[in-house]
Amino acid sequence: MITALRWLVFAVAAIAMNFPILVTLSTSFKSARELSTNPGLWVQSPTLENYFAVFQVSDRLNIFLYLLNSLAVASLGTGLAVALALPAAYAIARGKVGESTLLPFIVNLRAVPLIIFAIPLYMMFQWLALLDTRLGLGLILTIVNLPLALIILVNAIRDLPGELDEAALMDGASRRQILLRVIAPVCRPAIVTSLIFGFITAWNEFLFGLMLTTSKAVPITVGASFFFAASGGGVQWGVASAVMIVGALPPMLLGLVMYRQISGSMTAGAVKG
Amino acid sequence: MTTISQRAPSSEFKLLATPLVVFLLMFLGFPAIVNLVYSVSQVSFENLRSPQITGFANFAAVWNDSAFWQASWFSLRFGVLTALLECALGLFLAIFLSPLIEKRSWLLAILMLPLMVAPALVGLMYRLVLHEFVGPVPYYLWEYFGASFSFLGPASAFWTLIVVETLQWTPFALLLFYMAYQAIPKEIVEASAMDGARRRHRLWYIELPLMAPTIVVALLIRFIDGFRVFDNVYVLTGSGPGGSTASLSIYIYEAFFKQGAIGKAVAASVILFVLSFSVLYGLNYIANRRKGAR
Amino acid sequence: MTFANMRKGGLLALAVASLLASPAFAKVTVLGWPGGPEETALRAAADAYNAKPDVAENDKVELLFFNRDGFWDKVQADLAAGTTAFDANLLATYSIGRYAPFMEPVELSDEAKAVYGDSVLKTMQYEGKQYGVPTDLSAHFMYYRNDLIDALLKDDAAKAKFAEISEKHLGKKLEPKTPDEWTWDDYAATALYFTQAVNPDSPTRYGTVLQLKNLLFNMMVFQSLPRAYGANWMDDSGKITVNSDAYRKGLETYKLLYDAGATPRDSLSYEFAEANAAFASGQVAAMMQWNAAASDLTSKDKSPAVAEVTETVAPPTGPEGRFTHIHGLGFGLNKNAENKEGAKAFIKWLSSKDAALIYARNSGAPALTPDVVKEVATERPDLVKLGEFASKYGYVMNGGTSAKALSVYELQAKEFTGYWSGAQSLDDALKNTEAGMTELLK
Repeated sequence: MITALRWLVFAVAAIAMNFPILVTLSTSFKSARELSTNPGLWVQSPTLENYFAVFQVSDRLNIFLYLLNSLAVASLGTGLAVALALPAAYAIARGKVGESTLLPFIVNLRAVPLIIFAIPLYMMFQWLALLDTRLGLGLILTIVNLPLALIILVNAIRDLPGELDEAALMDGASRRQILLRVIAPVCRPAIVTSLIFGFITAWNEFLFGLMLTTSKAVPITVGASFFFAASGGGVQWGVASAVMIVGALPPMLLGLVMYRQISGSMTAGAVKG
Repeated sequence: MTTISQRAPSSEFKLLATPLVVFLLMFLGFPAIVNLVYSVSQVSFENLRSPQITGFANFAAVWNDSAFWQASWFSLRFGVLTALLECALGLFLAIFLSPLIEKRSWLLAILMLPLMVAPALVGLMYRLVLHEFVGPVPYYLWEYFGASFSFLGPASAFWTLIVVETLQWTPFALLLFYMAYQAIPKEIVEASAMDGARRRHRLWYIELPLMAPTIVVALLIRFIDGFRVFDNVYVLTGSGPGGSTASLSIYIYEAFFKQGAIGKAVAASVILFVLSFSVLYGLNYIANRRKGAR
Repeated sequence: MTFANMRKGGLLALAVASLLASPAFAKVTVLGWPGGPEETALRAAADAYNAKPDVAENDKVELLFFNRDGFWDKVQADLAAGTTAFDANLLATYSIGRYAPFMEPVELSDEAKAVYGDSVLKTMQYEGKQYGVPTDLSAHFMYYRNDLIDALLKDDAAKAKFAEISEKHLGKKLEPKTPDEWTWDDYAATALYFTQAVNPDSPTRYGTVLQLKNLLFNMMVFQSLPRAYGANWMDDSGKITVNSDAYRKGLETYKLLYDAGATPRDSLSYEFAEANAAFASGQVAAMMQWNAAASDLTSKDKSPAVAEVTETVAPPTGPEGRFTHIHGLGFGLNKNAENKEGAKAFIKWLSSKDAALIYARNSGAPALTPDVVKEVATERPDLVKLGEFASKYGYVMNGGTSAKALSVYELQAKEFTGYWSGAQSLDDALKNTEAGMTELLK
């Protein structure tokens, strides 16, 4: 009985939260004609024309390039952010280094609209020849991702019992060694979580992608909107939906691969904790 | 724990935090200085390289701008409400559904899907979903109830935006809570079960307190994200009739690009930064005092 | 974990560096308006230009497109920071004053005057200097359903009902008229008549659809109404004249239609796409909309419900005459262009008659003089109408090309939508707009 109720709750939550995705999926298979006559979820005469439009590569539109760009900048922006945040989180949580200054400062970076940095960054990037490069955008996404990674990692390390460090210190290990050999493995769920959230955030970032790229390093969020501006500023909903589905696939696949990591390592973490 | 940190040479810790600090100095140092100059200058797109320093006029302009306070109030309400709703829903789902998810972990993947779509695109999609003539929601309401409900009118826009945000980001809280719930050592749960503690008591007195740090962190993150909301609101309602759905981020973006009032936009950000920094600093201070008292 | 990531970052940096190393060609890069007919037309024009034998390999045109969302913001940042990513770029009448400091005046071909006419060339001028070629013109049409209007005009019972409704809501008895004779009151009365909330027998749910989202473009659609009552942003001495009876009348008419339910209740979040979708559903009798909507709304494929019964006329008239907002999109020269001479040559060619005809034949929307438009009249009858409306009814408000024009539209959008939504009174809205505009346009 209670299991049936759980399934019911799951179904309601899954449908409600995924509703826009369901609509997007259904819309992506509708022709322009059907769109204006059939607002329902059921597609009467499904068509792949929207997907053909998305995958047609031209000198102007290249979905593969956008996807590749996003993959590159999101990986860099996530990996670097976690690589920088992990040792700092350890120093903050255990060594109380910058706990009352650095931590709130960086957390604050998430609250302030980073777009105010757009103009100075633009000028700086111009000078460093980082405009319209994946490296440049990846570095910005690192800044975007740092606050969340730091919050999650500090929280995770604070949760660990101090005896872990103590034992290793007795054995004569340095802090760096403790971090890499003791803390990092135990914190794997938190690291994976910040990698996933970071990747998703970076993948979905729009404003810096718009401002700092023109053609070579255009990410998928910006490239996606190349597709649906139709005649006169309207929106081609069918094509827009298809490109959204395509654009959401990579983080979805990543999520599918990574959630096994989370659930797998969680039990391990619990035992050690 | 305290004994260790006292004994350990703090220089070792400082070294570990150095890469992060250096990185921030390299990439935010210059922009931050430029922005500080802009905040006390008369500057627009024409004189980016030669701003005229004029003192604190920008700060005064922001402080006296009723739209700034309207936007702050919107952001604050939006942040608090969405954080509470998302965390409450996420906590309930994480605990209630955990027996299902433990056996079939792909269920978690389905619940995480909404996170994978860019908020700007979610906003765009809702323009379609909620449209009176081509959107499925009004269509089904009209078909089955004969009613056409206004989702984005002046009275309902705020709540529609809250629901849109909550539906997309509840999975975020859910995931954090599910992990924290799973990390509760099984021995504790089993021991208390053996003591004959009832399910509800176990939840209230053992499990939730153990999850408390994660709950605080989730509330903080969701509040910040709700407070700074931009993409989906901007795409869906813009800044709203009379600026009624302008968040602080939208206010700053529009001052920056639409009005070309760069000094004003930066001044607003500095005010925001200083205020939220003091709040976080204060919270931290209180938390440390409490710890010390204990 | 961390080291693996660092290595990944290093590899990536290498990959990016190698990408950067690719040689740059000394071509002419032109930044265009993406996605729509303007892009198709520009592509055709660029192909024709590149095929000309007298264009050197180094001066061939290469096109660049951003996306529409945030287009002007991005161009602004690019230009202000002195970008060299493009040599020639798109500009619009309402943004010309904002971009002029980063652009250079251009020289057009000798034919330009005969091809476009003075009033259209003016849409690309700032402080007396020509900053671009006006390749596309935007204006407004009144779109309406002729089946509904015809039926109304034939039906005596309906006429009585029409008079009753107009007396109740507008304070005077009106008779149905054909749309090309409409005053703004006739339009309002017709909109009310075709609204189910007002007239339960109406064949459509709404009489009209207004775009009331807090968005600057919606102010352009709106202001042809107050203009017909003599509205202007400022008088010749520079005094702001927005707090006037004309604006009052316009704002009140919109408010009346919104409050009566003559436009969907969500109209306060509607812009171009939403309004078109509403009209295309067949539940709306008439609307003011950009000329760009014509192709979609009369296409049987895209708007099967209304394509065959949709017609367009000029906007309604008022005591001061009939008006449509116009603005041009065009191409000008980036001050920091790397290939300035090449860009100049392209812009000059683009303003020739040959180029204008190629542009027109490939779905662009140039406003051409009657003599020139004759040559494409069979393929593009809509351009004849566009050119005629633009020259007869087109206007630009005083201050409409100033550096702060966009900010003025933004301000109006915020204040006026505040009034329509009921958040503030009409007096406050006008007072705030007047104060803000005085500050902006001083």
